[in-house]
Amino acid sequence: MDVTTGRSVDWERIERLPEFRELVARRRRFVVPATAFFLIWYFGFIVLAGYAEDFMGTSIYEGFTVGYALALTQFVMVGSLGLWYLKYSARHLDPLRVRIAEEADAATAAGETATAPDAHGVHEGRFDRPPPGAVEAPPAPARETEANR
Amino acid sequence: MIPLAADLNELALGIFALIVAITLGITYWASKRTRSATEFWAAGRGITGVQNGFAIAGDYMSAASFLGIAGLIFLFGFDGVLYAVGFLVAFLTVLFLLAERMRNAGRYTIADVLSFRLNQRPARAAAALGTLAVAAFYLIAQMVGAGVLIQALVGIEFWLAVVVTGVFMLCYVVFGGMIATTWVQIIKAGLLLVGTALLTILVLNRVGWNPLDLFSKAEARSEDGEAFLKPGLFLPKPIDTISLGLALVLGTAGLPHILMRFFTVPDAKAARSSVVWAIFLIGAFYLMVTALGLGARIVLGSAGEEAAGKGGNLAAPLLAEALGGGAGTVGGDVLLAFIAAVAFATILAVVAGLVISASGAVAHDVWSNVVRHGRDSEHEEILVARIAALGVGAVAIAIAIIGGSGLNVSFMVGLAFAVAASANFPALLLALTWRRFNTTGAVAGVLVGVVSSIALVIMSPGVWPGPDSEGSPFPLANPGIVSIPLGFFACWLGTVLSREHRAHRTFQELYVRSETGIGAERAATH
Repeated sequence: MDVTTGRSVDWERIERLPEFRELVARRRRFVVPATAFFLIWYFGFIVLAGYAEDFMGTSIYEGFTVGYALALTQFVMVGSLGLWYLKYSARHLDPLRVRIAEEADAATAAGETATAPDAHGVHEGRFDRPPPGAVEAPPAPARETEANR
Repeated sequence: MIPLAADLNELALGIFALIVAITLGITYWASKRTRSATEFWAAGRGITGVQNGFAIAGDYMSAASFLGIAGLIFLFGFDGVLYAVGFLVAFLTVLFLLAERMRNAGRYTIADVLSFRLNQRPARAAAALGTLAVAAFYLIAQMVGAGVLIQALVGIEFWLAVVVTGVFMLCYVVFGGMIATTWVQIIKAGLLLVGTALLTILVLNRVGWNPLDLFSKAEARSEDGEAFLKPGLFLPKPIDTISLGLALVLGTAGLPHILMRFFTVPDAKAARSSVVWAIFLIGAFYLMVTALGLGARIVLGSAGEEAAGKGGNLAAPLLAEALGGGAGTVGGDVLLAFIAAVAFATILAVVAGLVISASGAVAHDVWSNVVRHGRDSEHEEILVARIAALGVGAVAIAIAIIGGSGLNVSFMVGLAFAVAASANFPALLLALTWRRFNTTGAVAGVLVGVVSSIALVIMSPGVWPGPDSEGSPFPLANPGIVSIPLGFFACWLGTVLSREHRAHRTFQELYVRSETGIGAERAATH
């Protein structure tokens, strides 16, 4: 009947929608490299803490050691990736979700269970997003979280 | 000096009473707004993203984080920071893999999501087992910690402190449900951040406002010298460090009381932003706690180690007292009382969150869906939820008192994280992402995760055959590196060895729902 309860929604049909495929592909394009990156950065830190005590204990400035500096980068990384994901979702994922919901609504309203219309393809093949790299994570301004609320 | 059990700290009691009065007022207000199941477990889904960010922070930053990590850094230096980093990075796992999907596909409990397309009864029973195991271990650890702490800070007996904590916790949950729990957590997060910020400012004032001076000055005050700024004093075995890191970073994504918070917001977008709010609050908190641990070393020095107690849990309150002007001064007494009250509020907020998640597992999962096949009324479900909360709370209070202050708290917390990472996390993740995953896989994964975590912790050094013992069957204190792969393996093995014809709903439905939010539970309209 309607998409708010999910009753009589044709899930198979939505799964085949190009918008849905694009949504999943775009989410993966962010989440997979971002997850790989944060796990590597974090376990790199943990492994160094376990096996390279002297390196971690090297003083950079007046007792501020490599270990503490790397710990600080973890804080920066978590904040940056979090804000970046909010921004990426609002810009690249949410609009697609809106279109998919409209599509599902229209389809259930018309009572049609036919296959996905191809005319409604995705206009922008956005493959331009670089995988989340180490340092260039843009620490978006604080209002970003506000805006996304 | 920290008062002994004999002499009461009236000032701390006064501040406690104030906090308790405010939270009970909120509970009364919330009780009038708690009629439906959605209101009881999910606060009517009317909590905003910012509010939920504060509530997640309040749910997560336990007394173990505040007093425990500050104490570890005070005693062992760098290794304490590893906990702080692990606890924080874990929220990226939650953000990227679970937060939005939980909101989109679930109603009240993690079992809703796990059992969505599986056979309801076995899958729900398994998920309820995982939830109850984590909640029980964590709850008992917090209750014992509360007893020890309040006994030391306020001067009332251990058993009385546990009972008082338990009674308030039950008041919030039984009468005020998730609405009261949420606001207790929000207030606590605010109090804790204000308290740690105040102490951090005083510490920085001590070292001449240059945070970089904290390191060299702390080193100078430690008998370990250079080693104080290096890893290895608390976690000498590298493989144990890695195992701990794994359990921390995956375990948070399997903590039922944290995941349950995502059902309280109106939509997935709010769930997402609430995680990022929580990240910033918790990140700021751990940065300050690190400064406090180093500050405690500078101010208290080696002479303070004995007074700080086992694990250094009293280092932060002692630091507060010293920064306020020392024992017996007005400033010292006020600051100590304030920090003691903040620690008390911290414990209350965490245990309330744990009890409400356990009540969801008992009433919504086991009673409504396994025992009554979903044929009970909503009225009955809430009644059972309240009784379940009372029951879980009473058992936790009893075990905490019987176990007494000697119960090993850090081992219980380690166990909670190990079960969460090895049982709950693999099954949830695979239910959401692996098309072939089935009921047998879910049940096998949860069972193996729970049993292997408990068995390995029992066989670990420090527990078997006794404290500080040599020759325990399992060499590591943290089981994660073995039990987490075992949990995933059991999920896979159970799935490939069995064939199921009848699933509850299709994977496609769960997949589309979790990614798009179509058909997700709506906020209650008032």
